[in-house]
Parts: sequence; structure tokens; C-alpha cells
Amino acid sequence: MREVISSSLSDSEGKPEFDQDLVDAMRWFDLSDHDRALTSELGDIADDVGERIIEAFYTHLLADETASRHFRDDAHIAQVKKGQMRYFRELINADLDSSYIADRRRIGSIHERTGVTPTLYIGAYAFYLNKLANVVLDRMEDDPAKAFSMVLSLFKIAHFDMALALETYADTREEAIKARERELSELPTPVLQLRPGLLLIPVVGTLDSYRARALTIQLLEGIQEHRARAVVLDITGVAAVDSAVANHLIQTMAAARLMGAQPVLTGLSAEVAQSLVKVGVTAEALSTAGDLQRGIELAEHLLGE
Amino acid sequence: MQVPAPLDAMVQAIRRDADVISARQMGRALAEDLGFSRPDQALVATAISELARNIVVYADHGEIELTTLQQGDRQGIRIIARDHGPGIADLERALCDGFSTGNSLGLGLPGTRRIMDEFDIRSPPGEGVTIIAVKWQLR
Ligand SMILES: Nc1ncnc2c1ncn2[C@@H]1O[C@H](COP(=O)(O)OP(=O)(O)OP(=O)(O)O)[C@@H](O)[C@H]1O
Ligand SMILES: [Mg+2]
Repeated sequence: MREVISSSLSDSEGKPEFDQDLVDAMRWFDLSDHDRALTSELGDIADDVGERIIEAFYTHLLADETASRHFRDDAHIAQVKKGQMRYFRELINADLDSSYIADRRRIGSIHERTGVTPTLYIGAYAFYLNKLANVVLDRMEDDPAKAFSMVLSLFKIAHFDMALALETYADTREEAIKARERELSELPTPVLQLRPGLLLIPVVGTLDSYRARALTIQLLEGIQEHRARAVVLDITGVAAVDSAVANHLIQTMAAARLMGAQPVLTGLSAEVAQSLVKVGVTAEALSTAGDLQRGIELAEHLLGE
Repeated sequence: MQVPAPLDAMVQAIRRDADVISARQMGRALAEDLGFSRPDQALVATAISELARNIVVYADHGEIELTTLQQGDRQGIRIIARDHGPGIADLERALCDGFSTGNSLGLGLPGTRRIMDEFDIRSPPGEGVTIIAVKWQLR
């Protein structure tokens, strides 16, 4: 199922022609032109009551502590309500084509990024559908059978929407975890012996607390194993250095000193160095030696050669 | 059902270290798009990193929101860091160089205040921490 829907997204990027995957996905939801035609008839009702339903919906959301955190101020709420009105019209009569799918899928990745959980999302959607269904049944008192099939069609489309959003939600989450695993698998950082007594450790990726701990352990083991007296820590490949990372580096270097090896830090870019100094990390604390070449020279000097 | 979340503002939920990196990259990209100098791009990225990392470490989760500001002909970036964690009882102390309850350098907050043009921190009892920091483009 995921393949069906996600490949229909990649196809949507440009060519609007016949899309077999989309057809398959809709068949799975038992969604047909008939459903679309039925809900489209609700167009007048939608324009008429859309705003009221949306008001009720937001009153509901804002009354909930978790949900209301997603809104900043009245201006923001007003802006989101406008988007909601568009969404509402689309739910009722937009063509269920590739661009519709792309739009719905996008919502899932936004939810993942901004921390809107599936419970929050599905719960809110359920509330919304419930309100809408009641309005439809009310308005079409004369033809309850037809009202009922309209509501059923709406529910199908809504489930289709939710499936699309949740697929992307899961995909986005999976991507994040994979990226994280990739980073972690970059460990162990190699410990290279440049010559007896002199080690080089090229650190790559991001240096969060977990990786910093691993780095310290490796460094200490390397020093012990090779009886090193100088260690060059090259952080050219480190993506981001802030005060916490600087602290990890300082700790690591202090640990090396305790083990009897002189640490030399290299590879801090000019901009990063500058922002660290502004943050207040003193140059002495992070005594660095410029580029790798200079660092190795310095380490050799420390070894007394 | 539309997202109950800002669409236009750039928001990154902060729950783990990887999110700190995403927020940081988002900030650097925005600073670059707005034509901030390279050193200023690094400052914006560092500030985001500090605030986001504090959220992960001290509040468990929260969010970083970035907005573009316009004042006359210059542009700025506003960073809002928000969490609903335990909050900070003594703000003055937390803003002192070297104060840390996390056995770190205690430079994140004071450093961010130094590198940004505007800095406002609030922590009403029971409501976590909200920090608003702005960096203006140099003209
Ligand atoms: N979002 C937050 N929620 C609760 N407490 C916080 C938060 N941010 C900071 N603090 C408190 O303020 C103190 C100072 O924060 P600051 O970022 O300046 O230093 P640090 O995080 O301890 O060390 P560094 O940032 O240098 O690695 C922290 O030790 C913590 O007690
Ligand atoms: Mg900090």
C-alpha cells in the first residue's frame, strides 16, 4: 500500500497524465467518481456552513491544552482558519488527482516536523467529520437516504486523506531515524597511528552527547593501546559546534591529558571559531592548532622531535 | 482536517539531538537566503543550536520557530524557542556565564544573548521557557 501511494506522489511531480498507482489506491479505498460527484453536491451547503463548522472545530482545538499549543496568537489562528476553509472545500469537491495526493501527503510531513501526533490529528479529524455529518443530515432532512450516502462518501475521502498524511508521517519519521542510524554507524571513529606515540582521530558527523561519550572512550582506549603521547583530534568533518559540543571536546581533551597524552585540536572553521568565541568559549579552553597540517606539526613538536 | 500548526512560519519540533541539527540547518539556510554574511549565518545557527539543545537536555521537548522580520530595508531573523518543561526559577543566574545545572560550560544562554541583537527570556511558573531572539542583517 505504501508503495502504491508513495509512488503516486513521485509521479505527481510534473506529469499529470493517467496515473495507474492513483487508480489502484482509490480502488483500495473503494473511492469512485460516484463518491466525488455525491460530495460535490454538498458544495452549496459547504459554502453556507463551512465557516460555522470551522469555528466549532477551533473552539474544540483551543479548549484542549495539547492542541492549543500549536497556535501562537489570534493572527495565527485567523490565518490557519483560512487555510482550513480551503481544505474544507477541497475535501468536498477537489479532483482526486496527483496534486491532491501530493498536498495531502505534505501535511503528514509537516505534522511530523511540528510535532502534531497521530492522536491529535485523527481525533481532530473525527470531531470535524462528526460536525460535518450532522450538518449534512440536518440540511437534507427530506432525503435521509441520500444524505447518508453523501456522508459515507465523505468518510471515504477523509480516510483516504488520513492514510496519505499518516504514510508520510511515518516515512518522515523513518527518514529521521535512518539518518540518525547512518550517523551512528559512522562510529567507531577510526583511531589512526601516524607514527609511534602520535595518534590522529578524524571526527565526522554531529557530535551529540552520545557520540561525544563514544569518542572519549575510543580516544582513551587508543591512547592506552598505542601508548600515545600526543593525539590530534581533527573536527573538520563535524557539522556543528556549540557550547555543549565545545564542552564535550574540552572534557575529551582533559581526559587525554590525564592519560598522559597531549591533545591537539584541529579543523575548526573560522566562522565556527568566531561564533564560539562570541558565545564565550575561551581560546585557551579549546587550544586549537588551525588546520590538520599545523596540528600534526605541533603534535610532533610536543613529542620532542 | 488541516494542520493545526503554522504553515508559513518555519517550525521544527525539538525532541532529540537530530532535531537540533535540523533546526540549525533550517536557520542557516534561512540566513543564507536572506543574504546574511557567512559569519552571521554561523551566529544564527549557533544560537539555534544552543536554544534547541537546552530544550532537549532540560525540557525534554519543545519547538523552534523561525520568522523573517522586515524593518525598513533590512531583514532579520526571529528565533522563538518554546518548551513546557520545568522552567527556570532564577533567570538572572541562568544568564550568568558559567552557571550550569547540567555539568556543562554554562554558556548557552549568556552566549546566545551576546550573539543576538535582541534577546528576551520568560519563564512564568509552571509554563516552561520561551525565548525570543532576533538577529538583524548588517547594512
Ligand atoms: N529550556 C530550559 N528549561 C529549563 N532549564 C533550562 C533551560 N535552558 C537552560 N536552562 C537552565 O539554565 C542553565 C544555563 O543554561 P545554558 O545553556 O546557559 O548552560 P548549559 O546548558 O548548562 O551549558 P552549555 O549550554 O554551555 O552547554 C542550565 O544549566 C539549566 O539549568
Ligand atoms: Mg545550554
